Amino acid sequence: MLLRPAALLASFALWATLAAPPLAATELAIPPIQYQQRTLPNGLQVISVEDHASPNVAVQVWYHVGSKDDPQGRSGFAHLFEHLMFKSTKHMHAEQFDRLTEDVGGANNASTGDDVTNYFEVVPSNHLQTLLWAEAERLSNLNVDEANFKSERAVVQEEYRQSVLANPYGKLFNAIDPHSYTVHPYKRPTIGSIEDLDAATLPDVIAFHKTFYRPDNATLIVAGDFDPKQLDAWVDQYFGWIPKPAAPIPQVTAQEPKRKKNLRYTVTSETAPLPAVALTWLLPPASDTADRIPLQLAAALLSQGDSSRLYQSLVYRHQVAQQVGADADGRVGPGLFTAYAILASGHQPAEAEKLLHEEIIWLATQPIPAAELDKVKTQLLTGELKQRQTAQGLAFALGQAALIDGGAEHVNTDLAALQKVTEQDVHRVLQKYVTGARSVTIDYLPQAAKGATK
Amino acid sequence: MRSSKMSRRMPACRLAVFTAAMIVAGSVAAADFPAIPPAPGPAPTLNVPTPTVQVLANGLQVVSVRRAGLPLVTAQLIVRSGGEMDPPPLAGLADLTANLLTKGAAGKSAPQIAAAAEALGGSLDAAAGWDESAVGITVTTPKLPQALSLLAEVVRQPDFSADELKRAQAQAIDDLRLLLSRPTALASLAASRGVFGDGAYGHSRGGTPASLARIGRGDVQRLHAALYRPDNAILVLAGDIAPAQAQQLAQASFGDWAKPATPLPARPVGKAASHVPAVLLIDQRGAGQAGVVAAYAAPPRSDDGYYVGTLANAVLGGSYSARLNEEIRIKRGLSYGANSRLQPLRDAGLWLAAAQTKNPSAAQVVELMLGEFKRLGGSRVGDDELAARKATLIGGYGRSLETTAGLAEQVGELAVYGVPLDEIGRYVAKVQAVTPKQIEKYADKHLAAGAATVVVAGDAAQFAADVRKAHPQAALLESTALDLDSPTLQPAAAAATR
Repeated sequence: MLLRPAALLASFALWATLAAPPLAATELAIPPIQYQQRTLPNGLQVISVEDHASPNVAVQVWYHVGSKDDPQGRSGFAHLFEHLMFKSTKHMHAEQFDRLTEDVGGANNASTGDDVTNYFEVVPSNHLQTLLWAEAERLSNLNVDEANFKSERAVVQEEYRQSVLANPYGKLFNAIDPHSYTVHPYKRPTIGSIEDLDAATLPDVIAFHKTFYRPDNATLIVAGDFDPKQLDAWVDQYFGWIPKPAAPIPQVTAQEPKRKKNLRYTVTSETAPLPAVALTWLLPPASDTADRIPLQLAAALLSQGDSSRLYQSLVYRHQVAQQVGADADGRVGPGLFTAYAILASGHQPAEAEKLLHEEIIWLATQPIPAAELDKVKTQLLTGELKQRQTAQGLAFALGQAALIDGGAEHVNTDLAALQKVTEQDVHRVLQKYVTGARSVTIDYLPQAAKGATK
Repeated sequence: MRSSKMSRRMPACRLAVFTAAMIVAGSVAAADFPAIPPAPGPAPTLNVPTPTVQVLANGLQVVSVRRAGLPLVTAQLIVRSGGEMDPPPLAGLADLTANLLTKGAAGKSAPQIAAAAEALGGSLDAAAGWDESAVGITVTTPKLPQALSLLAEVVRQPDFSADELKRAQAQAIDDLRLLLSRPTALASLAASRGVFGDGAYGHSRGGTPASLARIGRGDVQRLHAALYRPDNAILVLAGDIAPAQAQQLAQASFGDWAKPATPLPARPVGKAASHVPAVLLIDQRGAGQAGVVAAYAAPPRSDDGYYVGTLANAVLGGSYSARLNEEIRIKRGLSYGANSRLQPLRDAGLWLAAAQTKNPSAAQVVELMLGEFKRLGGSRVGDDELAARKATLIGGYGRSLETTAGLAEQVGELAVYGVPLDEIGRYVAKVQAVTPKQIEKYADKHLAAGAATVVVAGDAAQFAADVRKAHPQAALLESTALDLDSPTLQPAAAAATR
């Protein structure tokens, strides 16, 4: 790899000229989140934080199940199942969750990832009890019928078409996991495939609920305007009776092997107007805090904002890319460090790939100006503060910490750790996991569609 | 501080509210799990902060609205002009101008401005909308003075260098290519042209590849000189800041911004006759889905029926449980989501419904969409449904005020349209006052006044024949031939031979 120091020095100069900020990130005090945590006898983990800034309360249930737990031949099942949790239960008709949230001035949604499925609502605080009842009800009494199953499966297939087929770069982002893992079930895309979704049946739904939707596999998070004593009583009443099954919870045990060589794949698209390129490297689990936080900082140095290194190099100076990004995607199991570029008109993936590598190597080996390091810390801390303005934002921060990052306490300790990250930390983690490891490269190439319409 | 009470909806009272004292901590038997949801307690009160307005000697309106709690402030400098001021051959000029503000100003280069803003923890985001252009930043309170000086520099002293213009043009053209490859985005742009015709809101606000290429440095400088002036601007400061501090900071950064002696340019007419076929099919070969859009003209923001329209749209397609999503997604599984938006602008408005569906079901979605528009003007909304949609609107409104950025946006919109700012505290009461009869009349009046423009963009081989069964006059256009600069959407040569 040939470096071009003159061009790379430009980003150094940018920070050398910037006067030291009058208030460094390290002086920015972020008050800790004062949360409470307990576990019911049936294993349900409960985390709560009072915040009376608005008369709303967020209720979230995070299940420790994700697309890595999709049954064999049923890719996309955990996500399809998430949709079905809004259908009928023993005591609720289909879409009653919308009646209990939207129709009273609240909102609801849910998402499925590789490791977790979370259901989240925000309601005016006088509806907290109702929502706790409803979440306990669908944890214990799901009762989906065939008609609802089929119509919702069709919706998920439209979601697939919208996010993968009709999104010009959907196919690229959907191809990252399948090409980045060889053994671990993370290699299955969360959205699945039309064929596997077609193969899913109602008995699969019942079996999945029985296997994974149990109190000892869930975390209830409540944030916002509530009375803690009242909350504890309601949680005990509605969730306490739900039995903990005797059977163990299935765990993914597959070990993703270390990559032995660099690999390259090509994906084509009939709708993408411009080519793209994506690079990935394997990361340790997110619970490896000592490495995760410098990796997050490295990703931010590379790609957060117009002053970031990738933007300055690929988009601004060389103008070979139209969009760039980098991410340290920490998971319960092996994560991914990714970097990508969507090309500017008239440029090819190889040009962007070369610059992506150059910038990463430069960051991994050369001095990082103090002002630049301070900038990303300030960006990340300000972003945290923005997230904490709402009850829903507080609950998400707690869920991420508790289920992915190694424990609820990380919601506070990670911010302190972030402020202490040094240039040496960034160099060490990039050299260990990125520049000193093997990459997967995906070239994404537009390909003209065939046929004409009369 | 003004406060308005959230009304308590009255669901059938089916169960006494449990009190904590009644409950034995620990587990209870499954048999004790209630079969019906517990009823809600008394509704809490929503506190809506009151904005303060001050006008500097140069005419700059300074609006501050306090939300203490976390040490954050959002600062927005808004100009009361946007894409509607684009001269006809130069679609995208206002947006490109806004974009270029941060690309060099007051002796700082584009990278230096980005570095300065990001070192403060925020980012300077600039864009033109309809009727407004804005540049804003959210930072922690101690960084606000520096953020405001930076904001003032980019608004008042932009370089508009030839190099940056060239770079921004190339990026905007690539952005457009991405945007236009999305079926619903393309169909929505075509439908807007259908509704506004040759009027100022009819063109693509982000420009077209051809119009962007025509823009010169002089055009950008002229637009900036004509519109970016203190007597056409509003500074919004929302968050952990008191009115006196807002005034003092505004004075320091914008007090010596001179007001030109020349009058502000006249505002163009928003809507003119349409030359787009009533039903237009756009062929995007290989598209993974079809984007289906139906659009009608709607009244401007100043219309007396603003809140009635807001409710009418909420019933039609403003949320997950609204009618369009109920009929298209929930009942039939035809889409991941169907929705509508009412966009009342200064001089005219747009009411647009959209859904993305697999290509073969596009024709069915067109009919469902048109049917729901029709039902709104042809029959009265039930009391329960209306109460639910009012609650959805009010709840969403309350949540939008929870962040400094959301608060700044709500206040900024009122200021742009000259609505008294204490309206922010009247929203709940005004929504509550709307009746089913008003909605029916509103829909009947505005939907009967003109025909819908229907646009379907996608792999037309899979839906053209089906759509033509109900709409034999539907026109078909290749996406590669579509010209958003042309009032007919047809390339100039093709239109001439017609």
